[in-house]
Amino acid sequence: MRYFLQKFAQLILVVFAVTFTVSLALGAIPNSEERIIAAKGSGAINEEEKNKLLDSLNLREPTLVQYGYFVQDLVTLDWGVTLNGNQPIKSSISDGLKISVRLMVYAQLVALLIAIPAALLAAYRNGGLFDRFSTTVSFGFISTPNYVLATVLGLLLTVRWKIFPAISDDVGFFEAPWDHFLNFFLPTIVLALPLAATYLRLLRADLVNTLQSDFITTARAKGVSTSRILFGHALRPSLFSLVTAAAVNVGALVGGSVVVETAFNLNGLGRRTVLGIFASEFRLVQITVVVLALVYVVTNFLVDIVYGFLDPRVRAGRLG
Amino acid sequence: MKSLRQSRHRPGVLLGALAMSFGLIVAACGSGDGGGTTDTSPTDESAPTENTEVIDTLTSVTPGGNLVMAIEADTSSPWRPSEMVCAISCHMVARSVYDTLMIPGSDNVPVPYLASSVEPNEDFTVWRITARSGVKFHDGTDFDAAAIVDNITRHKSALLTGTAIKDVTDVAVDPADPMVAVVTVAKPWATFPWYLTGQVGYMASPTWLAASDTDEALRSKPVGTGPFVYSDYKPNEYYKGTKNPNYWNAPFPYLDSIEFIPIADSLKRRDALKAGDVDLIHTTNGEVITEFRGGLDGFGSSEITKNGETAYTLLHVTQEGSPVSDRRVRCALAYASDAATSNEVVSFGVNQLANGPFSPDQVGYLEDTGYPMVQDMAKAQALIAEYKAENPGELKISLATTNDATNLVIAQYQKDWWEEAGVDEVTIDQIDQGQYIVTALLGNFQVFQWRNHGGVDVDQQYFWWHSSSSLDVGALALNFGRIKDAKLDELLDANRASTDPAEKKQIAEDINRLFGTECYNLWGSYTVWMLGYEDTIQGLDAGNLTNPEGDRALEGGGIAGTFYPHTAWVQQ
Repeated sequence: MRYFLQKFAQLILVVFAVTFTVSLALGAIPNSEERIIAAKGSGAINEEEKNKLLDSLNLREPTLVQYGYFVQDLVTLDWGVTLNGNQPIKSSISDGLKISVRLMVYAQLVALLIAIPAALLAAYRNGGLFDRFSTTVSFGFISTPNYVLATVLGLLLTVRWKIFPAISDDVGFFEAPWDHFLNFFLPTIVLALPLAATYLRLLRADLVNTLQSDFITTARAKGVSTSRILFGHALRPSLFSLVTAAAVNVGALVGGSVVVETAFNLNGLGRRTVLGIFASEFRLVQITVVVLALVYVVTNFLVDIVYGFLDPRVRAGRLG
Repeated sequence: MKSLRQSRHRPGVLLGALAMSFGLIVAACGSGDGGGTTDTSPTDESAPTENTEVIDTLTSVTPGGNLVMAIEADTSSPWRPSEMVCAISCHMVARSVYDTLMIPGSDNVPVPYLASSVEPNEDFTVWRITARSGVKFHDGTDFDAAAIVDNITRHKSALLTGTAIKDVTDVAVDPADPMVAVVTVAKPWATFPWYLTGQVGYMASPTWLAASDTDEALRSKPVGTGPFVYSDYKPNEYYKGTKNPNYWNAPFPYLDSIEFIPIADSLKRRDALKAGDVDLIHTTNGEVITEFRGGLDGFGSSEITKNGETAYTLLHVTQEGSPVSDRRVRCALAYASDAATSNEVVSFGVNQLANGPFSPDQVGYLEDTGYPMVQDMAKAQALIAEYKAENPGELKISLATTNDATNLVIAQYQKDWWEEAGVDEVTIDQIDQGQYIVTALLGNFQVFQWRNHGGVDVDQQYFWWHSSSSLDVGALALNFGRIKDAKLDELLDANRASTDPAEKKQIAEDINRLFGTECYNLWGSYTVWMLGYEDTIQGLDAGNLTNPEGDRALEGGGIAGTFYPHTAWVQQ
């Protein structure tokens, strides 16, 4: 319980720091008022409209007041509309988040489904043919930029063989499952393959160490089967690095898949954020940063909890 | 409107087309010698020959079907006509939901469309616009003079379109006729109807406009009189429209629905067409155009070159303390530049080199404008040396471009040429696409890559060049280069008041020569636009659109890179 409360307190602190920094960032941008007016473009046409726009962003208020209004708007979901597109920011972010979360979940699942069995086999047959093969292939995928993967797979599977669409639509799973699969397959694979390679490397290294531990030797001596040794005894204590990497990648995938999203024309959160930065959509970017920060923070909080289950010593605070 | 010169990759924001957006461009079709479009033959790898047959007879139209078009960018501030930052892609969408009061006619003069007539007084200071009777907006609101007045009044006070029609002093409903709007202008403006063929001419429902004044989210759900009714829009994802069953200009439209998908990358757009994800694309990418010229099974293409835009480098010519404000430096940069090389490298030689703002089919084009078409480094170095002798100190130039890789290549070429000519340092500033037009509007640049100046009448360039549009740096102004030239002003004003074709031609040529001798811009090439499509798509030639009186629209779409969605159909 104490462990949980400690982690929760840290979460609150981080959220405060992020929201405070973000709320001030707008005012710190050089010529922010002019940029906002220009971003609004034709819409802000006279002094009254300009003042209305700037007042809605509370730019002329003292720092703490600005922060207060920002938190109030965040909590009440009063996020306004985009300057350029006249779209409610709430729906823009939720639409983008939906796409990015889907991609993240699919990519993580595929990556783990590939990495865990492969790592187990590679570690079990350390130095063997499969181990060397998987190591080579994983290095290949780690060193290949995702835009290269996207281009090559795209040209082959969309233009040349026309198996998948060149540009993906955000088709709901329950709306049209097969179309959903077709539209999300390629972006998922492009994201998942390098991830799987990284996870495989991490898990394999930890498994090799764990399999050399005394308790594994004891289990073997007691006649425990190989599968039980691998899945029941070796895997769990070897998951720390993998869990950490996967947790970090949750946030990275949700907010940072802009290259893949752009390559497949999916309007996920990463792409929306980058386009928002280019278009001086300050409010959109502010709120997106907070959302992404919350994703990171909550994910890591949950991972910290998971650590406690993976290794009771963590819960007891007696690790190391 | 693309802010970049012709290149492999068309950056998203399309400022060149912005010019068109103010009703000016109407582009293409200046001369009366035939069509402005060319259709490629499947085996023709060279530039296609001009199609001299004027109109597609459309004898076998099969109504129905859906058309999906990949456009090069989404639109900022959608979709209220006085606010949208309207480039070529914007016009494609806007034409589906709105009608313009006039359209460019096949005889190279505007003809009434949504308006039934547009008549001037004797000295062209008062224009009477008669609303076509029996037309309703998609929300049931009547289209009448009050709607015209509402729309034009909004344009008058708008940041961008207001500049285009700043000479309009009053617009009001004729007290004697609720279907007639009376527009009064400050000085004789014979070419005013051209402005009603573009952004200023788009008519939106006053009911919707009023509602969206307070509800900003409503602004992206347009209501017009056009052939397609708005159904859905997601920024940077798609715009969708369904057939207007009560469209006032039968038998149009033929399609059941239309969809526009923004895909900024030219090659991705091409891939989407080849993969079957879209039915139609537009592009200026030299690589893609060359590929289509070589022939692709199952696909067709048509190129539009007439009255198109010019890709060039824009110079801020009145910036205090800037070397570019000196004619010798400007012309030195012109002599040092080798446009032929950059055109070949980045545009695959698709475009014709430019010597002025007017392309071969535009009024005012000259074979020789006095602008240097061939690199002369010795001359460039002499001019720089002469400048430096009078202005000691380092000569530095800042060249702005976008983040696009191909435009950076062009910028690198320019840097090398200009430094060889004697400029001590050329710094390349890469500016985010979204900020590019802002930078231009504010005048926060010294030298800037650009694309602009499509159009039929020189008056369509008025606010880009007239000193009345030139404001101080930091103020938003459409005369990006801040040109203040009394002679140029005089010529532009004379053209605005003139209806004599010979006189207008002479004026346009004088303007062209002035640009050539003053080196206000560094000319690159004349842009080629191509429509690429699945071969089941028919009716893309704008000349197929007619008004109820039987007048045909100008071939080529009026705005390069576009067509009228009214006339498109899918061969079943």
